[in-house]
Formats: sequence, C-alpha cells, structure tokens
Amino acid sequence: MAAVKRYSPAYKAAFYAFMAVSVIITLFPFVWMLSTSFKSPGEIFTKHPTILPQLWTLAGYKNLFAAVNMWLHLCNSVIYAVSLTVLSVLFNAMAAYAFAKLRFPGREKLFALLLVTMMVPGQVTMLPVFLILKSMGLLNSYAGLILPGSAAVFAIFMIRQFMTEIPEEILEAARIDGFSEFAIFWRIMLPLCRPIIATLTVFSFIGAWNDFLWPLIIMLREDKYTLPVALASVNGQYNTDWALLMAGAVVVVVPAVIIFLMAQKHYIKGIAAGAVKG
Amino acid sequence: MAHNFKYTVKALALCALLGFWRAPACAEPQQLTIWAMGAEGKLIRQAAEIFEKRNPGVKIVTQAIPWTGAHEKLVTAVVGDMAPDISQMGTTWMPEFRAMNALQPLNGFLPSSPLDTNDFFPGARESNLYKDQWYGLPWYVDTRVMYYRTDLAARAGYKKFPADWGGFYEFSKALKSAKDGGYAFALPTNDWQIFLMFYWQNGGELLKGAPLTAGKFEGTIDYLKRFFDESLAPLEGGNDTDQLTAFESGYFPVFISGPWMISQLEISKPQLNGRWATAPLPAGQRRASFMGGCNLVMFRSSPNKALAWKFMEFMAGPEMQAKWYAVSGDLPASRKAWNAPSLAGDSRLAPFRTELDTAKAPPQVPEWENIAGSINDAVEEAVFGRVTAGAAREKLSARIEKILAKSGRKQSAAFKLTLALLLFLLPVGAVVLYLCRGPRAAAGGKFQPIAVLFLLPAVLILAIFLFIPIVASFIASMTNWNMYGVNDWTKVVFVGLENYFGLFGDPVFLAGLRNTLVFAFIGVPVSVTLSLAMALALNAQLLRAKAFFRVAYFIPVITTMVAVAMIWRWLYNPEFGLFNLALGYVGLPAQGWLSNRVLALPSLILMAVWKGFGYNTIIFVAALQSIPDSLYESIALDGANTRQEFWYITLPMLRNTAFFVIVMTTIGYLQFFAEPYIMTGGGPLNSTMSVVLYMYQQGFKFYNLGYASAMAYILFGLIFAFASLQFRVQKKLEGNF
Repeated sequence: MAAVKRYSPAYKAAFYAFMAVSVIITLFPFVWMLSTSFKSPGEIFTKHPTILPQLWTLAGYKNLFAAVNMWLHLCNSVIYAVSLTVLSVLFNAMAAYAFAKLRFPGREKLFALLLVTMMVPGQVTMLPVFLILKSMGLLNSYAGLILPGSAAVFAIFMIRQFMTEIPEEILEAARIDGFSEFAIFWRIMLPLCRPIIATLTVFSFIGAWNDFLWPLIIMLREDKYTLPVALASVNGQYNTDWALLMAGAVVVVVPAVIIFLMAQKHYIKGIAAGAVKG
Repeated sequence: MAHNFKYTVKALALCALLGFWRAPACAEPQQLTIWAMGAEGKLIRQAAEIFEKRNPGVKIVTQAIPWTGAHEKLVTAVVGDMAPDISQMGTTWMPEFRAMNALQPLNGFLPSSPLDTNDFFPGARESNLYKDQWYGLPWYVDTRVMYYRTDLAARAGYKKFPADWGGFYEFSKALKSAKDGGYAFALPTNDWQIFLMFYWQNGGELLKGAPLTAGKFEGTIDYLKRFFDESLAPLEGGNDTDQLTAFESGYFPVFISGPWMISQLEISKPQLNGRWATAPLPAGQRRASFMGGCNLVMFRSSPNKALAWKFMEFMAGPEMQAKWYAVSGDLPASRKAWNAPSLAGDSRLAPFRTELDTAKAPPQVPEWENIAGSINDAVEEAVFGRVTAGAAREKLSARIEKILAKSGRKQSAAFKLTLALLLFLLPVGAVVLYLCRGPRAAAGGKFQPIAVLFLLPAVLILAIFLFIPIVASFIASMTNWNMYGVNDWTKVVFVGLENYFGLFGDPVFLAGLRNTLVFAFIGVPVSVTLSLAMALALNAQLLRAKAFFRVAYFIPVITTMVAVAMIWRWLYNPEFGLFNLALGYVGLPAQGWLSNRVLALPSLILMAVWKGFGYNTIIFVAALQSIPDSLYESIALDGANTRQEFWYITLPMLRNTAFFVIVMTTIGYLQFFAEPYIMTGGGPLNSTMSVVLYMYQQGFKFYNLGYASAMAYILFGLIFAFASLQFRVQKKLEGNF
C-alpha cells in the first residue's frame, strides 16, 4: 500500500460534505420510492409531500401480495437472471480471452465486425429474433428467453479491454508450467479479472432482472411471467395504485442491491499488480 | 486436459438443461385461452368461473397482459401464430388487427345467437363493424365528461355547469378571475382525443369525403386557441402537471376525463368529497364525446371457434354486462344493462349515460394511430400560433392523404425471393470477403486452434440472434413492409431506397436526428466526466464506508424507470415541483420544464445523466483497482503531488477503460429512448423526439416496419461514423489498436 496521506481537517470536511450532497441527490428518489410504498393513497399526490409517511400503512404490500403470486414470479425471475448471468459471463469472458490473448487469423477483423453489429439499434431485431426462436420451437421456454442475451458484444468488448492490460509474461510463465489454455483462462485470467467480472455480473443480472418487454413477448403463459411483467399486469389502463406499484419496485430493487453489494466486494486493489511482480 | 474436459462437460450439460426447460404444450379440446389487459386480466377470472360453472367440461385459461407492452405482445403473437382464442382489444386497435387478417369475422355466428346487437351504443357498434361485417363484440365502454370543482364554480357565480360552448367560455373567464393563480381549464395542447371531441361538436367530420371538414377545423382551433391566448389554459406546463393535485389546489378546477377518475378521486383525494361533480361536455352545434373502451375479439387461428363465440356472447349480453360493472366498475356497452339500479341510480354516472348515446369512435382505418399522431402535431402547431388554422388544416389533410395512399404495386414471388436472397448475400458476402482478405496468418505468431473453442459459444449465439436479424432488417428496410404485410408476405414489395429518401423529407425524423445529436453532444461529455470524478472520489483513500457510497451511486441505475419517472415528474412539476420552488426562492419565474420547447430536452438530459452515470462509475471503479500501487509509490518518491499523480499515472492507466466507456456511452446516448418515451412522448412539438423513439413509434405503433428499419440503418451509419472517429483518435493516441 502507498503511504497513508495526511489531509487537513478542512479538506476532509469539504470532501465529506461533497460526498454527502451527492449521496442525497442519488438516493433521494430511492427513499421516495420506499416512503411512497408505505403511504396511504391520499398522501401520495399532494402539494407538499413529506419525506416520511404521516400515516404508515402496509396496504401497498398487502395488496401487492394479494394481487400477484410473488413466490412463483420471483422464482421465474431468479431462474432467468441467474442463468443469463452465469452463461453470459462464461461465454463473453471466453470470447474476450480469445480476442485479447489468443492468436488466430482475422482476429482484429472479427472483433471489429462484432463492434459494428453492436451499433444497430436493438429494437429492429426484436421481431426477427422472435421468428427465429419460433422456428426453433423455443417460444415459451427459458432457453428462448435466455439464449439470445447470453452473448453480448458489449460485455466481450469490456472484458477484452481489461484483459489486454494483463501482462503477457504471466501467461507465458503459466504455459511453461504446463497449463492448458482452459486452465490459464479459468485459474489465472478469471481471478485476475475479478473486478470487471464482478461488474459484468452486476450488469447482466440487473439487465435481466429489470427486463420487461422481452420476457413478456417470449412467455405465453402467465405462470412463466417474471416479476416485472407480473407487477406491470396489475395496473389498469388509467388507474394506478401507486403504493402497490412502489411496493413492487421496492421488492424488485432489493435483490438487485444485494447482488451489487456482493459483487462490489471484489473491487480489490492490487491483484493484477501483485501477480506481475510474483 | 482433465480440467478442460470437465468444464466442457459442465457447459454442455448446462446447455442441455436449458433445452429441456421447454414447457409442455397444452391442447385439451374444450379449453379456451383468453388474454385480457391489466386489471381486467385479473378480474376476468370471475367471469370465467361463472362460464365454467354453466358449461361443465370447459376450462378457461386467462392471461393478464400488462397494458405497457400489450400492443407489442399482440403483434408478435399474431406474427408468430401464437395468438389466444379470444383477446381484449382496445377500440382503436381493431382496424390494425383486422388489416393483419388476424380477426375472425363474426357475422356467421349472429343469426343463431340470442344477442341483440342493436342494444349496444352506436359508438360501440362502430368500432366492431367494418363493411357490415362484425369483427368483435363490445365488452365495456368509456367516454369523456367534465370534472369540475362545485365550490369554485359557486364562487364564480355558477350553480350549474354551462351547457354550450359560449357558456363554457364565459364560465372559464369567471372561474379564473374568482380565484388566485392557476388556470380555468386543463386543456392539453397535444391530445387528439380532446381535440376531436370539440371538432365533432363543431360539426366536423373525419375521412368522410375529404379528410377534414373545411371551416369546422378552423372554427374548433379558433375556439380552443382563445383559452390559451387568454391564459385560461396554459400553453406550456399543462401536460406535466399532476392532475389530481392540481384539481385539489384549484390550479386546474376543470378537466376532461373518463369514468375511472371517479374512484381515483374518491381514493386519492377523500378531502375533496362533496366539492366536485361531473357534467356532460358543453355542446357545440351538437353533442359529441369520445367513445373509448374495449372489445372482445376472436382470432382466426382459434381451434375452438364455436366455444369462443359462446363465451363472447356471454360477456356481451346485458346480464353479464351489468354484473361486470359490479365486478370491475367498467361501464356496460349494453343499453339494457344500464337499467340496473346500481348504474341508473348514480348521479355522477348520469353525464356518462348522456354522452354515450352520441359518443363517437374514430374512423375505422388501420392507419389510425399514425393519423392521430399527425392530428396532435397539427393542433399543437396551430395553437402555438406557428401556422394559421387554415394552413394547419391543409397540411394535416395532405398528411392524412399521404398516410392513407396505397400503392398498387405488385411483384411476383419469384422476383421477391431472388431479390431477398441477393440482399441477404450482399452483406453476408461482404463480411466473408472482409474476413478472408489480407494475410491468412494470425497476427503476431502462430495460429492457436483452441481459440475456436473459446469463441464458439458467443459467436454462434451472436450469429443466430444478432447477425441474421440484422441482415433481415436490412432487407426489410428496402421493402414497404407494413401492417398489411405483417401477417401476409404476398403484400410486401421491394421499394429500393424509397424509405431512405422518404426519411430525409420527413420533418419528424429530422427533428429526431437533431435532438439525438444534441443529446449525445451534451450528454456524453457530462456523463463520462461525472462518472470519472465520482469513481475517483469513491476510490479516495480518505473515504470510509466505500460499499455504502458505491451502492448509493449505483441506486439510480437499478431503480426501475417507472419509479424514477414518477419522482422526476414531481421534481419538474410546474406548480409545486422542487425545481420551480428553488427558482421561486431566488425570485425567478416558474418554468414548464417538460413542456417548454427549449427546456424539455435539457431537462431530459439531466434526468438521463442522473440515471446513468453510476453505470460508468462502477466500470471506472473496477478499472482503478488494476492500477498497481507501485506506480504511485515511485512517482511519490519523485515528489509528485496529487494532481501530477492523476495526470501521469491514473489517466494514462485508465486509457483503455475510458476509451471503452466513451464509445459505449456514445452508442447508448445516440440510441436515446427511455426518457422521452416515458416522460414526454417526444413533445412538445417534437422537441424531445429522438430517432429511436420515432423508429419505435413507426415500427410498433404504426407498423411501418420497412420505414422503421431504414431509420435504424441511418442511425447505424451515424453511430458507425462516430465510433470510427473515436477508434481513429484512440489509434493515434496509442498507436497499437
């Protein structure tokens, strides 16, 4: 570790004041959402809303659990988000390793081609992907839900950028020690890439977890709905039960925060640095 | 090698497992599948149970479809041949699905049915009938009436709501002067439903002979424009108010809404009870409200048509219609059902009953959504005074005629197939040539065949689910693929580059292009700089409780858009939002953040930056971990200060990541969509329209899939140009990419 620096109290105070303000700005809507989920309907839209409910009520949550089979949809969401995350981290990291550290003809060109495909707006490919899945007989299945998203150019690009920073000497040393490429990938590269893999895990998980339109279109039976789809089904065309909606938003956001908390522990300094020296 | 094998087997097993997760198909003979939206989707279970009891052996599977996304869900189901037996369908959606040839004609069932179709309100019949053929049955109706504050009206000297246009104008003036601040009437500038009601009342007609009735259109605009010109209604800031609270505070003591508002007011504003009432809309030359509601339709693909009809007949009959009101609060489409005491005895429902007899449905043309959008634009331009009412009518008429124009072009199947194949081979061939050109040897040394295994899963998936669809949509961009062709390939013809040329003459697209560029030029630098600054702060040695701060910055990213939108709407509220409160403290006038043409786009940029910066922040945080401390130690020994550390170590070491972040953020910002979609719908006057939002509207609202695909390729070209530029800069900086 670098020597611990000494900061003047004024600097410290200014720094923490800045952090406090920025946290209030980012957390405010979240607190709002939480508080709204405990408010009674008459309190939700007022001219002078209060941060805390004046009259706490669990009605939003009670209505939510009465309207939606929470465990079923939670289960579906977990299956979707976890499988997608596991597969996409594996597939994308593998491809990124090939692009960053393995040699094969047309490597740069293929990579450039992948980058180009990323630039086509996703909305136009939705219908063709749907038809392809139909022809494969994968509609209304988890395979159809998960497979199209399990490889992403964005993720390959991100991990590759990180992997190119890892010194070639480490790999050469491992090859001399008789490691196969798979072993190098699994036992050396992945651990070295922990911060970025953790980041990607969070992105994949949250992307799938909050996904709405795709699971709605692919799943043809209500018992296969993921949580966001099931929650959206509760609302009328014109009537919105805001307390229920916010209670739903809280239920959806909590697992995402937990995943993030778990992942951010892997932002550990100096693994790569240590490895270079050792 | 043992290791390799183990992991390969694991990966294969996982894939196999995914394959087996397919749901078993259900195909019992006496089963009906019914889709219904939102609250009705849950409540219809109760009706289904009554039906099941009366018809033993029948099983009804109901599926609730969220209103958001219902349109897309229905279209994909029709295209994918996965439609249910019966579905709920909004009255304005009927013609589109009829044009797709998805709906079962019902005249064959009517003669032997006890159902009396003359019992339905005329407006409800209209939306189901096309050329004397029934394509659906009315399920429930809604119509619009006036909601007004009786106490404020009394203060202005009115005991009764005015009955005609002239009276309403005088009433509005009296109402405004009888209270402090606010307006008299919540009149949106871009709501075609509300405009049409006034237009119909004025004697105007749509698509009867001419697209619009000359004179009647201008008369309606003149009448409405007076409300804006005399500040009885706000030209700006009206669309982003919270209607319920504005009603309570008296900011908007009068507004137009549907039957759902009764219960909403009772629940959300109990303190207002006894101080508001409903009234029929003031009549012009005649009475006319808007007929909304939903029908039940049967899909052509249904294998159980007789049973499906039996259920529809059951739902549309007067007995079940009255019962359905008790279950859901939806108003019956059957006149007989209105004799039920619960309906006939409710004084607040009486204005609805009055309007229902004369309420009108929009014309039954499949292109209606597109026409409705054009009406919004035309009315908005006219009330803002950008064009005269007469010019607006002429422009709108021309636009409607263009939308409805059909090309009689026909091309033979063989010709189309050949062309499609050629257009498919063109990009595929180009890619193959590109990959094979040049030196065959691997750069920098010998070919490692194992690389193929590493690439295989990702590349295979990308080829099937990304590359092929991209080529398919490229082919589509050269066709006239629209709703008539969605379900019928014979109606699709190749039009060459017509879509591309058309786009450059389309003012909405050009506005979208301009806004998208502004959004990216401002948003990307602000967002990336902010992310980097926050990442550095999060990484500071000084900071304790890092996990907490990391979560705090990431919270906006994970919070669902619905919740985010609700809060930002409140922040931007023109009457009592936080931003206007702050302006008030320093003595500046309040602004219509989302409804002012100049401010709306910056307001959305601010929201997008707030929502998204945490994403890049954690990428930077992850990258900062890979900078070895030894570098900082050595530069510290040389006596460098913090600023020098940043410029000589941190920034160069973050170069790869920063490059990635900038490229990705640019791509993301050029595909600007969620914020305008949920906050402004592209308004006011298309000042927040983006390319992707317009593409989405054209593709999934109007089904001009060919046109939408062409738009995607123009945007692609733009993104490609920017990304190439960035890669070039990166290459120059680094020299090794």
